[in-house]
Amino acid sequence: MDNTLFGYLNYAVYGTAVLVILIGLYGTMVKKSLLKVVIGLSVSDSGLNLLIVAIGYYKGGTAPIFSPGFLENFKSVSKMVDPVPQALVLTAIVIGFGVTAVALALVIRLYRHHGTLNIDEIKNLKW
Amino acid sequence: MVGTPVLFIAIPLLAAFLIPLLGMIWKELVRIVPGLVLTYLLILAVNLLVHVLAHGPVVEVIAGWVPPIGINLVFSVFSGFLVTLMIFLGLLVWAYSYRFKRNVDYEPALKYFLMLMMLITGSVGIVLTGDIFNMFVFIEITSISGYGLTAFYKGRDSAEASFKYVLLGSVASTFLLLAIMIIYSQLGTLNMADIANKIHLMNPTLKIVSYIFFVTALGIEAEIFPLNGWAPDAYAEAPGPVGAAFAGIVVKASVYAIIRYTFTIFDLSGAFNFLIIIGMITLIVAETAAIRQEKLKRMLAYSSIGQMGLVLVAFGFGTEEGVFAALFLMLNHAIIKSLLFFSGSYLVYNSKCKYIKEVNGMSKFLPVTSLLFALGAFAIVGLPPFAGFWSKLSVMTAAADSNMILIMVLVLMVSVVELVYYLRVVNRIYFFKKETAIEPKKPTFNALVVMIVLGVIILAIGFYPDVVTGVLHKASASLMDKSQYIHHVLSLRQ
Repeated sequence: MDNTLFGYLNYAVYGTAVLVILIGLYGTMVKKSLLKVVIGLSVSDSGLNLLIVAIGYYKGGTAPIFSPGFLENFKSVSKMVDPVPQALVLTAIVIGFGVTAVALALVIRLYRHHGTLNIDEIKNLKW
Repeated sequence: MVGTPVLFIAIPLLAAFLIPLLGMIWKELVRIVPGLVLTYLLILAVNLLVHVLAHGPVVEVIAGWVPPIGINLVFSVFSGFLVTLMIFLGLLVWAYSYRFKRNVDYEPALKYFLMLMMLITGSVGIVLTGDIFNMFVFIEITSISGYGLTAFYKGRDSAEASFKYVLLGSVASTFLLLAIMIIYSQLGTLNMADIANKIHLMNPTLKIVSYIFFVTALGIEAEIFPLNGWAPDAYAEAPGPVGAAFAGIVVKASVYAIIRYTFTIFDLSGAFNFLIIIGMITLIVAETAAIRQEKLKRMLAYSSIGQMGLVLVAFGFGTEEGVFAALFLMLNHAIIKSLLFFSGSYLVYNSKCKYIKEVNGMSKFLPVTSLLFALGAFAIVGLPPFAGFWSKLSVMTAAADSNMILIMVLVLMVSVVELVYYLRVVNRIYFFKKETAIEPKKPTFNALVVMIVLGVIILAIGFYPDVVTGVLHKASASLMDKSQYIHHVLSLRQ
């Protein structure tokens, strides 16, 4: 661990990711508008994806892609960043997209049924 | 070879996406195909379970990547028993809702059966998979089809119930992914057996943090007490058979996930007591909430939550008897609660608000349905000649063996509460006069057959519990034997 500015920047990525997750959760829990709640869910998903990519990264790593001359030069394998988190993020993005789409469809139905997006006025089922 | 575990995921997934195309050829295929697929899978599951009982677990490697790198599916006695149970229930739900919306129009039936197949695919996948990220994907498949099924009816407040479920479900998925990444960043593997093998290398603080994230995330799906706000609304607003599918299939899969993490993956010593405490709180809160409910389906939902609490308590004993009792309880809960949802939704079929007081005097109009509801109510409370008695008895003996007298007392007291609110409904069905002008709806032929089959099974297990206890003992032994699980999966690496 180095105490230069660049060393701290490594941790800044984790800090930012956690901050984005917390902002998203704040939006989900506090905001009154259904749309803002859905946006909050989406924001916390993005923060999580950032965190996962940051976990797989290390300083100076290259993209984990096979290229000509790759196997001869064994050093390039050890210089690759971990490809697994990136694959996981790809899946997580797709799932997050699906959930957001379902949530927005439900928001449209709620708006048609109640004529409002305010969460306090939609309380047939005791929130 | 008697078939491979991957078929349990591939075939229903393929069928779910083929249903819209087949529907273009002949509309009736939308209804027929799920039944054929589920029948085939049930035969396959029973065959494979018999094979596994004799020869030990089957481990399937996907795409030739041997564990710990690739994804693997494990069909042990424990997971095989749950898969067989889920597919059997799926088949019953299909048979019950075969004529569902038949005379209305084609499109809702298409969506209903598509999402039902996805729900079964996801739940079976959760139970079979041996990879934690793969489990996350299956949990998402299950919950997204759950959101869709909850919002199925357009007229009711179902969108509201479903939105609640979406909110909690996506917070759950965030936590679950976070927990998976904590484990991955520490151990560099996603395979369950490999994690279980290396878990002692992990930083203890991070281990506890990730366990808590796991239990929080899975607790939302498994209806553990402070996280179950979605459940009563979703059960009440979804179509009747979907309530049975939630109680019998989705919740079972989530409880399986919690148990797999607690028993196999993590080696935390306090985790068992933690399960007992959260299970006990869930049981007491849910049963006392159930007694206050005025709507029938909400009451059944709270009762279902309470039963899941009892299952967690039984698992929390951490002994083989405890696991046996919990599995027996899961089996009984699946069949009895399905019967209650099936018959209960006919008792309040034409009423708008589904109040309990609207079942008054229904026994004169729907004698068979009322009788079966009463049978289910007595069975779930644990009265002697029915199936529920044996599972509650085994919970009691397991508690006594672990010297948990206080737990025994509390469970018995809660059973009395349970007895009160179920007998109240049965009393109204049989001894009250019909007041409101709600037209009783006669059950369809399929629904009647399904309910009678469930009633017969409840009586059969009640009189001859030995037909299931053999499998249950082997299943609990297979869960307790952690080193055998690790060995079977990791020995594939040559």
